[in-house]
Amino acid sequence: MSGAETRSIAFEQAAVESVLGGYETLPGVRDEMMDADGQPRAHWVAFLASLAELGPDDLRRRFSAADRYLRESGVFYRVYDDAGGGERPWSLSHIPLLLEKSDWSELAAGLVERVELLETVLADLYGAGSLVASGALPAAAVAGSPEFLRPLVGVKPRGGRFLRFYAADVGRGPDGRWWVLSDRTQAPSGVGYALENRLAVTRALPDVSRTLRMERLASFFQSFRTSLLKLEATGEGRIGLLTPGSLNETYFEHALLARYLGFLLVEGEDLTVRGDAVNVRTVAGLKRVDVLLRRLDADFGDPLELNAHSRLGVPGLVQAVRQGGVALANALGAGLVEAPALMAFLPRIATEMLGHPLALPHVGTWWCGQDVERAQVMEHLDDLVITSAFGGRIPGLPRRFSAVGADLSPAERRRVAALMAQRGADLVGQDIARVSTMPVWNGDRLVPRPFTLRVFLAATEDGWEVMPGGFCRISESLDARAFSMQRGDRSADVWVLSDGVVNSATLMPSPENVRIRRSSGTLQSRSADNLFWLGRYLERAEATMRVVRALVGRLSEVEPSAGPLVARVLSLLSSWGAMPRDLARANPARYAIAALTRMDLPGALPQLVRNARASASVIRDRFSPDAWRALLDLESCLTTPVPNAASEADAYERADAGLRIIAAFSGLASENMNRLAGWRFLEIGRRIERSIAILRFARTFAEPAAPRGALNVLLQLADSQITYRTRYVMLEARGPVLDLVMLDPDNPRSLMFQIQRIADHLHVLPGRDPDAPPSLSERLVARILSDLIARTAESFELQHFEAMEGDLLKLSDEIGAHYFIQEPEETVYWPVAT
Amino acid sequence: MLYDIRQTTSYSYAVPVRATKQVLRMSPVDRKGHQHVIAHVLDVTPRPSEIERGRDFFGNGIAWMAIDAAHDRLDIATRSRIDVTVTPLPEALGTPGVEAIRAAALASQDLGPASPVHGLFASRSVPLEVDIADWVATSCADDRPVLAAAMEVMTRIHEDFAYQPGATCVTTLPAEAFAARSGVCQDFAHVMIAGLRGLGLPARYVSGYLRTVPPAGEERLAGADATHAWVEVWCGEEAGWIGLDPTNAIPAGEDHVILAIGRDYADVSPVDGVVVSSGSQILAVGVDVVPVERPQADAPAS
Repeated sequence: MSGAETRSIAFEQAAVESVLGGYETLPGVRDEMMDADGQPRAHWVAFLASLAELGPDDLRRRFSAADRYLRESGVFYRVYDDAGGGERPWSLSHIPLLLEKSDWSELAAGLVERVELLETVLADLYGAGSLVASGALPAAAVAGSPEFLRPLVGVKPRGGRFLRFYAADVGRGPDGRWWVLSDRTQAPSGVGYALENRLAVTRALPDVSRTLRMERLASFFQSFRTSLLKLEATGEGRIGLLTPGSLNETYFEHALLARYLGFLLVEGEDLTVRGDAVNVRTVAGLKRVDVLLRRLDADFGDPLELNAHSRLGVPGLVQAVRQGGVALANALGAGLVEAPALMAFLPRIATEMLGHPLALPHVGTWWCGQDVERAQVMEHLDDLVITSAFGGRIPGLPRRFSAVGADLSPAERRRVAALMAQRGADLVGQDIARVSTMPVWNGDRLVPRPFTLRVFLAATEDGWEVMPGGFCRISESLDARAFSMQRGDRSADVWVLSDGVVNSATLMPSPENVRIRRSSGTLQSRSADNLFWLGRYLERAEATMRVVRALVGRLSEVEPSAGPLVARVLSLLSSWGAMPRDLARANPARYAIAALTRMDLPGALPQLVRNARASASVIRDRFSPDAWRALLDLESCLTTPVPNAASEADAYERADAGLRIIAAFSGLASENMNRLAGWRFLEIGRRIERSIAILRFARTFAEPAAPRGALNVLLQLADSQITYRTRYVMLEARGPVLDLVMLDPDNPRSLMFQIQRIADHLHVLPGRDPDAPPSLSERLVARILSDLIARTAESFELQHFEAMEGDLLKLSDEIGAHYFIQEPEETVYWPVAT
Repeated sequence: MLYDIRQTTSYSYAVPVRATKQVLRMSPVDRKGHQHVIAHVLDVTPRPSEIERGRDFFGNGIAWMAIDAAHDRLDIATRSRIDVTVTPLPEALGTPGVEAIRAAALASQDLGPASPVHGLFASRSVPLEVDIADWVATSCADDRPVLAAAMEVMTRIHEDFAYQPGATCVTTLPAEAFAARSGVCQDFAHVMIAGLRGLGLPARYVSGYLRTVPPAGEERLAGADATHAWVEVWCGEEAGWIGLDPTNAIPAGEDHVILAIGRDYADVSPVDGVVVSSGSQILAVGVDVVPVERPQADAPAS
């Protein structure tokens, strides 16, 4: 070893010491970073040295940048039991879990072996039934699971696999071995969060992540996507990601994955079964969906044969599956092997089916539906976790009951004993698994916290592939017993340190794998509906802000008192539902502030931007992260409470800021959204709303009896002052103003311009038969257009504005009826037996 | 006993329904030791655009159907001729004890439709409740023969519960009917199932028809019969499932015609489906169970 090397190692050690100061591992618990002698493990040293080099201040800055990234990209986890029912940001622990390649490979191989066994078990339980017939598995240990879906018995999934995506929660015991804590086969979640965590952490620590050479995640997703595409039999390349909808706690992830994998994000109501085929309702009619990545729990999948009360499913889905009309990943009923009861029998099944025990152990489990096991569990009750055998409610015990025998209250202990005697089959006893700790940055130093690791596996053409990374759930408490960590307070990225060449696939799909898609027809009717309304709400918000700006801006100079012009502006706000009734005879600025900030007015800005965001949030897969961020910004800009003493200047500033964000969103939409049907519906919505606003402005400010200065206000509201000034040196005159605002085809704010764009869009919308006569929508637009063409600016009268506005409202309804309307599906009444 | 059974199920809709998709569980099938279906016709008006017949997991006759033409009325009519010949009940005191039944069910190596394991656990319409199990437990000492215990439970429900049509509906939970000590046949069946399962005894739900005998001197009223529900209790490998009717406190006999069997009402509800409509629906059900004079040649020897 040369002197320089010695010095550099010595330096590194000193640096490492500086970040490790005070890091104390928990007694009897293994730590991922520190060995038993209190020395950092070799594979952590380089990472720790990099942290030390950055220093606490720099780290704080970088970590808060990562948090900002997650917040801004809208990484949310919806929390059901929150008082507001709202979303909360996913909280990230910035220190990744570092794993050596050899350690990882062993874990990965063990999980592959395990999921292959689970697949065999599923195929047997829904098929030949030899495991039960041979006595390897009691029938009751299967029948007790709510995920044993009887209508699926005897049904072979298309493509031959029940499982295509699998996750396991694992923890590392004090002995250094990985243990499986639970299996996820229904619709495993977390993989999207793992992706986002990776992006956030590598952004915060780009230099560190480059030097450390961790395995990349992208090729895993590519293989998974390819394998689903291979399942697709129609050649139309249409794969859906079936989500329960935007109220689901992991909806963000569904939208992210749909975008990332290029799948259609569909809800049950988007789909309909015809014959054996599952179809998606699109603006161009029904289109077949041949493969569904299922994130909806199977029981909700079909109100006809599964849960009859489900409003989230697809009527007839089971029959379509039965007839091979659709392939599901994972198959309906795959959740069966998640049951803890099954875990009790896996060792024996493994020996019987594989000829040897599973390489990867799982937490010791005893099903209390058997005499011997039940007696043993009762004997060792204090040292075992008692929990539901099938994940369901146990009568007489709280929901999601899971407790160590020693911690049971006397009443619970009596109840457990009674259950054991009569309904032991509902319970399992499990060993108390102790998991390891990993370092967490607490603001200025590292502290150890217990965690569990979720690992993801996908079935590919070459067998199961393991995502080289994962999702750590970290507990804030120091209790390292796995059962007590169900929720997890923070998450962390997982770096599998490569000892060879890193697969350099990026997170973006590589060119050869990008599927060529030109079909603009696969726009779900529901998405089109929401895009259209997003367009309308945004435009309404914009118009309202222009009115507000007019009220507190120029107008207050022209007409300081509450004169006739102000009255006209207020009448606009009033017709939009943005005028408070409880503010009689106030200063115009008060009205402006009310329209900007009042939460209780349906037409005021907080409500408008909320509606816009609500429309956008159910079609989140349609937006780039930047566009989504602009919408979030808009909402936060316009829903932050204002101080009571807000001045005109504050109002002006806020309206200005809001208009700038909308302009940014419009720019992103026009620059980044493909000219596909979705963009067109957003555009049509905006253009219709803007046309209506122009007509209302014109009606209010260009009628012959309007007070002095009205035409100036009209120019201002129509954002056409500058053009007017450059064109005319004179003061505003009715003819020229109306020509510019109504008829000028080159003014992007004119009515003519809006109507021409609407006509263009309607003409190329999907599903339009070029040989058919023009639709009602097209005829309505043609009527307005021909009226505009035939008219001179001077000849406009009140009733013309009104007639055109009426036509536009009809147009909006007609577009809705033609492209969006889906009548609600009602559950059939059940005949009562008496 | 030979029966001609007609059932009409009619939906009328306030607003025409654009389309509907349903599963119908209205076709009786042969049941060994109880009934033989001689003829069965299922008529749906308007004519379905798709209809397919089959069996569900429990062997019940079901039909998947779709109608994609607008309609404001849907009539589902069935006609069945069924021969009910009941095997005599086993000697109640000769059936295995409660504890033995519990153990035998848990040890079952059968996952097929007749297995006791399907009757062991909580199901969609029958969550298990401690107080119902406790109430049933007084009849079910561990060594008591299971059929004797179950018949006592049946009788107690009949005696303690008020038969009160309209007080409950199809989605009423056993806990509600138990608390009110009232309901209709479906509630009584669910309560009895919840209680027996709560003690680890396999019990399942039967939907069907009950022949009603008009008061002496009066004519049978057409359409006056109703669909009925009762319980089957698993009494060991030998005796198998035994039907008990808590509404009438009698074993299921020659007056009982089986329509479908499942874990609870949700498994056998006659119609499950969705209609594409925004309006309200009105449902009318009519049932006639008419005993048929057996042709002389078929008459049992007396």
